[in-house]
Amino acid sequence: MQDPIPLPGGLSRRGFLAASGSVFALAALATRARAATVNEAPALADMVKSGGLPALNDRLPQNPLVVTPHEKIGTYGGAIRRGLRGSSDHNGILRMVGNQGLVRWNMDFTEVLPNVADSWEIGPDATQFTFKLRPGMRWSDGHPFTADDVVFAIEEVVKNPELYSATPAQLQVAGKPVVVEKVDDATVRFTFAAANALFLENLATPLGQHPTLFPKHYCSQFLPSSGRDLVAEAKAAGLGTWTELFRAKCGDIEIPSRWANPDKPTLDPWVVKEPYTGGATRVVMTRNPYFWQVDTEGNQLPYADELSFGISQDVESLMLNVISGQIDIQDRHINILANKPTLSENAEKGGYRLLKLVPSASQQCQIYLNMTHKDPGMREMFANKAVRHALSLGLNRQEIIDIVYFGQSEPYQTGPRPTHPWHHEGLSKQFTEFDPDKANALLDEAGYDKRDGNGWRLRPDGGATFFAIDVIPTLYPDLVDTLELVKAHWAELGFDVKVNTIERALYYTRGDDNAHDAQVWPGPGGLDPMLDPRDYFAFHPQGSRYAIPWAMWYTSNGTAGEEPPESQKQRFALFDQARATADLAKRGEIMKQVFDLTAEAFETIGICLAVGGFGIIRNNLHNVPETQPDSWSWPNPGPAMPQQFYFTA
Amino acid sequence: MLRFIAKRFLWMIPSLFAVSFLAFVLIQLPPGDYVTTYVATLASSNEIVDQNAAAQLRERFGLDQPMIVQYSKWIWGIVTRGDFGLSFEWQQPVSGLIWERMALTLVLAVVSLLVTWAIALPIGVYSAVRKYSIGDYGFTIFSFLGLSIPSFLLALVLMYVAAVHFGQSVGGLFSPEYENAPWSFGKLLDLLHHLWLPVIILAVSSTASLIRVMRANMLDELPKPYVTTARAKGLSELRLLLKYPMRIALNPFISTIAWLLPNLISGSVVVAIVLNLPTAAPMLLQSLMAQDMYLAGAFVLLICALTLIGSLISDILLALVDPRIRLE
Repeated sequence: MQDPIPLPGGLSRRGFLAASGSVFALAALATRARAATVNEAPALADMVKSGGLPALNDRLPQNPLVVTPHEKIGTYGGAIRRGLRGSSDHNGILRMVGNQGLVRWNMDFTEVLPNVADSWEIGPDATQFTFKLRPGMRWSDGHPFTADDVVFAIEEVVKNPELYSATPAQLQVAGKPVVVEKVDDATVRFTFAAANALFLENLATPLGQHPTLFPKHYCSQFLPSSGRDLVAEAKAAGLGTWTELFRAKCGDIEIPSRWANPDKPTLDPWVVKEPYTGGATRVVMTRNPYFWQVDTEGNQLPYADELSFGISQDVESLMLNVISGQIDIQDRHINILANKPTLSENAEKGGYRLLKLVPSASQQCQIYLNMTHKDPGMREMFANKAVRHALSLGLNRQEIIDIVYFGQSEPYQTGPRPTHPWHHEGLSKQFTEFDPDKANALLDEAGYDKRDGNGWRLRPDGGATFFAIDVIPTLYPDLVDTLELVKAHWAELGFDVKVNTIERALYYTRGDDNAHDAQVWPGPGGLDPMLDPRDYFAFHPQGSRYAIPWAMWYTSNGTAGEEPPESQKQRFALFDQARATADLAKRGEIMKQVFDLTAEAFETIGICLAVGGFGIIRNNLHNVPETQPDSWSWPNPGPAMPQQFYFTA
Repeated sequence: MLRFIAKRFLWMIPSLFAVSFLAFVLIQLPPGDYVTTYVATLASSNEIVDQNAAAQLRERFGLDQPMIVQYSKWIWGIVTRGDFGLSFEWQQPVSGLIWERMALTLVLAVVSLLVTWAIALPIGVYSAVRKYSIGDYGFTIFSFLGLSIPSFLLALVLMYVAAVHFGQSVGGLFSPEYENAPWSFGKLLDLLHHLWLPVIILAVSSTASLIRVMRANMLDELPKPYVTTARAKGLSELRLLLKYPMRIALNPFISTIAWLLPNLISGSVVVAIVLNLPTAAPMLLQSLMAQDMYLAGAFVLLICALTLIGSLISDILLALVDPRIRLE
């Protein structure tokens, strides 16, 4: 909370470095003795007086997490209003509320800090992680939270084959799921089959929330081991099986029912009052009287009494709500370049200020030419580095930046962002100069010198060079504009390109079937190169769209897909090695080798550095960092700790 | 008459089966399935689904089975247990989701229908009787404007004005404080306070077309000899109009009852979405876009059933109102 400006640093976990070995890491940072006096919200104090609630000292753990407010100590009260979309927007709630994993990110997205876990110890080979919990900590219903809950969540829920037919990727290494055991009531140990140096970073992301998601005293009653007639209960609720009942009651990380059951105890700052269900028109969450964080003066968090999420079917009506001052903090859904002028213009009227988001992505518009195309002629063309080199030189990137992105970017290929310690100049800037003459020369040399009747180049085998680039207009309207310019630039080189605007399910299906010529997508890995290296090698079977079959080969350990070239295999090995390396400097060196190979192979063609997003904050809402990373791994605004946002009149 | 009704009811059963199957096929025709759409939706917010989770979801929802198997399971559940299945997206029983929204949908539809008729009928009759008068021209201009302005645009403009110039809370049918409150007089007032906007918007375009229809029908009837006869017998002008030509001119209104019922659900989709109304229409669209098979299927089935029932009702009413209509 200390530093308002995130210096994007990806995964450099400095604290981790100091702590590798077996010292209790970072403990001193956050484990302070509880402040001499503790305070609570007036409404809770009244309930304590009337006997409806135990005293605050009995509700807080012995060593609550002490949060340093972003600007200053806040005051209690108010409801933070936000907007959700009609469906599939459960993660809009998660980002605001559900960020209470064992560990969390710092504001800079560079370091993992204690959260539910007070401190931790890492075994020398990064296979064992021992977490110290907070004694006396409680679930939102007052039931104690102990190591048993963590063990239950992993061993009995996540590893239950009927609930999860495969263990989530974050909780397994080398194909073997983690083993979790209780050391004592406040200590829990995770053991992996092989080194997992990225475990803490993964725990800090939303997909790492399983360990603190399932209260044993509540959720165990929905497991068959409880001996209850769950099938009958499921039937009574209109559901089919016990697993459906379990998910309806206890949820999962990112499904709507996580926010649909007001009875389920959580560790979140606010708990569900009006649930997120199919017919809901709004979601209301109210303060958790047992929340285990305090500010530096001992005031129990959260400051705001409630969260209120209005559900809009339509982004336009959400925009109207923002403009008329009925939303307190929002970036989701309104964060479209075309909306920025309207929002700036109405800032005074709506009483809000703009919030700046630093993208975690690297590339605004990554062009993935399908190097594993089903048609051998096309495959040869896209796999030819000279062709890709020429196509890149043929792009007038500055024109695209000026026209589509209002000059707010710079020519870029891929790689960690310029502010990242691992930034790789060669990978990011090679072939970004506009040089059509050289491009034409390269193409002629490569055997693409013959042309058809319309002047379009022909492949050396005589086939047409025509190809289509898939783009989803509803998702990324700016990419369509960009592609129109790309099409014009490439037409100058003699390439006929079609901008293929398609619906998103079709886009995914074409990618999955390897049926595309080329697709575009924003290129990730700018701030989180270890978490999403899909553009650095064929890592992601749905994301590395220049070679989906290679990615399948990698993720299936060579049993599916297609065998990739040597350079890819070297990168697979290097990345696996980096993933197992706890020492940050060493990890950086290994990743540099990966980036060198990626630059040499030059598989994807980028346009410009990912452009920053924006959001709005009402002027009377404080302690909100005005610059935040924009990422799923750093699920903004969650790590900025909305529990310490507060209102003034 | 009874035999006619019974026969029509029996015919409805095979029609429903045919339509439900067709609907199921149509909903599945677009590429991908619910899981693809779900992954894509999350990706639009840069969110990622665990790689194992997508395959698990497919297996759990039975999406990996052939379509005919999925359909048979679904329809079997409906026929034997009245179970419309589980919405993929919400993991809630479909029937609950639909009924939850039907009450307000019904209120909105009935109120807009009544408003439409209350405005359109008298104006239509007036325009016909006072053909080419200033009033007639005025209403004609109004009705053509109403016909030509898309209702969602009207909705957006009215919302913008209400939000930016009057600072009103726009969208929805209740103010935040009444949203989940139990029913009370205050809540009813609040509902009325919000209801006028969607009602006007929904009424404008249908009023316009009804005015034109009513006017044309009346113009057909007015010069007919029976009108002259009635007038010669000394009936007052108002009584005459209501008793003879208007009854006949009402025919098209009654035949459109057949479309009114399905319109409850699917009629005002765009307006309901723009105005953020908690009615069934946005949920129908959502379920189609998310390829939430069972929810969408149940909606389509319901719409078909309502269409069939609606046409039966209007046939019966027509037979009652207009003695010229035969049942054979």
